[in-house]
Amino acid sequence: MSIDMQQRWADRPLGMRDVYPQQARRRRQLESKLLRVFEQNGFEMVSCGLLEYVDTLLRGRASSEAEDWLRMVDATGRTVVLRPEMTPSIARMAAPLLAAGTKEIRWSYAERVYRRTNDPASLSWASGKAAESTQVGVEWIGRAGAEADADVMALCQAALGALELDGWQMVASHAAFAPAFLEAHGIAPETAESLTLCLARGDYVGFRGVMGALSAATGVADDVLDQLSTLNPLAADLPEPLQHRFAESESGRRALSAWRELRDLAAVLQRRGLADRVSFDLTLVRDLTYYTGIVFEVFAPGAGAPIALGGRYDDLLVQFGTPAPAIGFAFEAERLLTALTEGEWLHEADERGAGSAGGAESSGRARTTASGEEASPW
Amino acid sequence: MVTIALAKGRTADDVVPMWRRAGLPAPADLDDSRALVFEVEAPVHGPLRFLLAKPADVPTYVSFGVADIGVVGKDVLLESGREVYELLDLQAARCQLCVAGRPEERDRRPRRVATKYPRLADQYFRSLGVAAETIPLSGSIELAAVIGLADRIFDLVQTGATLAANGLVVFDEVLDVSARLIANRSSYRTKRQAIQWVTDQLAQALTREAVES
Repeated sequence: MSIDMQQRWADRPLGMRDVYPQQARRRRQLESKLLRVFEQNGFEMVSCGLLEYVDTLLRGRASSEAEDWLRMVDATGRTVVLRPEMTPSIARMAAPLLAAGTKEIRWSYAERVYRRTNDPASLSWASGKAAESTQVGVEWIGRAGAEADADVMALCQAALGALELDGWQMVASHAAFAPAFLEAHGIAPETAESLTLCLARGDYVGFRGVMGALSAATGVADDVLDQLSTLNPLAADLPEPLQHRFAESESGRRALSAWRELRDLAAVLQRRGLADRVSFDLTLVRDLTYYTGIVFEVFAPGAGAPIALGGRYDDLLVQFGTPAPAIGFAFEAERLLTALTEGEWLHEADERGAGSAGGAESSGRARTTASGEEASPW
Repeated sequence: MVTIALAKGRTADDVVPMWRRAGLPAPADLDDSRALVFEVEAPVHGPLRFLLAKPADVPTYVSFGVADIGVVGKDVLLESGREVYELLDLQAARCQLCVAGRPEERDRRPRRVATKYPRLADQYFRSLGVAAETIPLSGSIELAAVIGLADRIFDLVQTGATLAANGLVVFDEVLDVSARLIANRSSYRTKRQAIQWVTDQLAQALTREAVES
């Protein structure tokens, strides 16, 4: 065989991934299982078209988030996007119902979402940014407060329990806390914003660099990162002197109000026995700008990126025409499957689809793998 | 077990001794072995597994989670654009990312730039409002300027000796580069204690050495 061999098989587009029988069955089973847990908790499944107008998706968020969206122009000349997530579509669908008098909406979904990326498809399913992935999630619109936050985190934990996933860890934070905390320390809003961006990227070195320079120039305490990372609403209240100081400024009061929400949530989680596998890390900042309250991510060994992500977005619905508090989260199905099967889930496609030419010879091995897996529920 | 991807070459040469000074277990025979994977026992947190990788591959290993943490230069990290946590500036393997060229080119508009960092070079020249073409090369970048393939090079400068030997001068210093400790986002959460232990040991050693000097 030589490399300039005439191409006999049709190409698979960049970033797309074929899913073979065993895998497809498992993914569908996972989706069904999650949807069943959601339904038992009062969340009904909805669905909608794959395309959204770009201005729908941009409501209530920074235009920089649009960088990795897959855009095209429809027949009428308007720009449409292959949805990168479900939350805006759900908000679009829910707003007219809320305006007509519905008090509360609890919806679930299992849909494919799309992004622009150069990562290889199979690895990005496990750990990176995938061009196509499956999100199975819920959105709960119409309820505010710590009990609702805890309910959603409990639902996420119940679903993980139903899947019998080991070793997962939930990390929680508050979208408004870090920026307000920084400003309350006398850091200008623009600088606080770029520091928050450092946190969203996980660039702690960059954060310390900016703070070091700032501290030398203005005398601001340069240990805010350490302060921020040691705060734990499950363990202790904010130090008294800090509370007094924060009460005196507008940004400080914002920080205090976010902190109180965190403390309330921590108390509810503890009371309901949900706190064991939750850790708070206030340096955790999500890269989605529509979040206004509690945010959380779930990690599991074997998947190099979060298997579930969520948070509260109380100001998004008003951008769609009706004010309403809301919270939601979604599982990343392929990452979850990778963690559940210790990577086994990816193998069938690796073996059957590695090169179209190699398919026939390797099917024997694929069968062995398939039968060996019967013992595990996945 | 914690898996560590180490950038081969200068970064590993500088960081492994620092790793030992920080009281962290490190493989003994890294220098004269041809092996790429080393495992050493560590107290409390289980064994540490070291992978010796090409620098440009370290962010890839870490972002896909096959390595939990990694040590790599800031230049490589920026060029890769990968999503990883950047935990610590190890202040080792220092150098600078520079724009250089033949002296007579200094006042002329940049047209073609040879570099190992096409992403960063493109970003840099665009931020200056200059539409220069980038020519991706994989080594001996100076050569491109010497023989006239490019009128600028965008490359790491350590001592400046190679530039001088080839009659090139630095036009602009773009970025101070040093080795960074990076972590996979999921490992940072699921193996938090072990990773925090490594980070703290290294940070303490850095503080100690800064005080001593």
